[in-house]
Amino acid sequence: MLNCRKIIIIGILLLKAVLSFAQEDKVIVAYNFLKNGNLDSAKVVIDLAVADTESVNDGQAWYIRGFVYKSIYTLREKGNRQSPLRLEGLNSFKRSLLIDTATENVTRNIGGIKYLSSTLFNDVVTSLDTINYKIAMENYDIFKDYLKLVDTSKATWKQYDIKFLLALATVYSQIYENDRKGKSEFLNLTKETYDKVLALDPKNYQAFFNMGILYYNQAVNLITQSEYDIDIVALNDIQDNSMKLFKDAVPFMEKANELEPMRRETLQGLSGIYFSLNDTEKSNLYKKKLQELGN
Amino acid sequence: MKKFLFILLSSFFLTSWMVVLPDQSEEASTHLKAVYINNFIKYIEWPEEAKSGNFILGVLGTNSVLNTELQKTAASNNKKPENRKIEIMNLAATSDAGKCHIVYILPDNSTQLGDVVSKVKNKNTLIVTEKPGMTELGAGINFVIVENKLKFELNKQNIENHKLKVASALVNFAVH
Repeated sequence: MLNCRKIIIIGILLLKAVLSFAQEDKVIVAYNFLKNGNLDSAKVVIDLAVADTESVNDGQAWYIRGFVYKSIYTLREKGNRQSPLRLEGLNSFKRSLLIDTATENVTRNIGGIKYLSSTLFNDVVTSLDTINYKIAMENYDIFKDYLKLVDTSKATWKQYDIKFLLALATVYSQIYENDRKGKSEFLNLTKETYDKVLALDPKNYQAFFNMGILYYNQAVNLITQSEYDIDIVALNDIQDNSMKLFKDAVPFMEKANELEPMRRETLQGLSGIYFSLNDTEKSNLYKKKLQELGN
Repeated sequence: MKKFLFILLSSFFLTSWMVVLPDQSEEASTHLKAVYINNFIKYIEWPEEAKSGNFILGVLGTNSVLNTELQKTAASNNKKPENRKIEIMNLAATSDAGKCHIVYILPDNSTQLGDVVSKVKNKNTLIVTEKPGMTELGAGINFVIVENKLKFELNKQNIENHKLKVASALVNFAVH
């Protein structure tokens, strides 16, 4: 009876050893495929390897998987802004990083994440237009998640957020300008996005300047888009509403000017706003400052 | 090369926030004046003898933005006086003022008001100006700024002296 139990135990241990060897083999096989440039085979084998329960916590296996996916992405999917291969690669590097904290493993996984996330960031930049901005937003969120893994400085995260939000606000305002009636909600989205920038950086020149321009343009459009044969009562209402918007533009443009007093576009903006408010004295004052700056 | 591309794209990203400032202040301001003038035509009635031929709006002074706005007004006006064509005439001298249904004297030419008044003395002409005190010197309507807004003063007597009838709605809307 005792012998029988010993045999079973020895059998189980042997089986485990064999399975473990087979598992290690898959990773090695995948590595060899990768080394020889056979990326498709490497992908199949490494996917099998990490699907095994023993490899869930194998940092080496996940790193090789990340490398295989990164290589295939670079070779075949570089132009795909929503590449699933890139995301799998990033996810694999991340898993390896979390499993194996040895310096060498951390360094190489961070290298992989940095490379793939930089391509992600570049795709954010090239997608930030009136058509693809939603892809840019999705990619930016993913980029931010991985940025936090490779750069722990909150100041860096904030700088990226500010730059992204400023660019996104520009896209929103372009969408609004292209179809003011049909896409009026983008005007509020633009303002909300600049508000987010100012919450992150209360001294952001660009956000103040662009908010000023946004109100100024809104006021001008209200007037210039009115029909020539509207009644005098309606004209009065349009003037009231546009004057309110011109007044709303003032504090933003004044603040922008306070932050960077020598900017031509700010002086031009202030001159235009005060001209529209029929404050000739102030309009001429900023026009004079603009002239003093020269060309 | 890859690194360079990354930097290049990043710099594009950094500069993409700039919003172009269109200098439309003057266009907006003159648009308001054009709409007002349209209303003056609507609320003032010219006598029968002045109801033939084109309706002539003379401008004394140079302002290309205003000229464009008035041309647009003339082209788009759906409520033309007695279905007549509105013609914008740039007045090189005050001698042509008598041909106009409206003479619009720009601020830089305000000193010529007295001359215009004498030239249109017995004509059916409305004189429009935009400088303080002009209604006291013979203008029928004068643009003024009140609390940042473009408004107008109206001298009913000066208008009626030219046999023009002004609707009470316009009188009520004028600055008193």
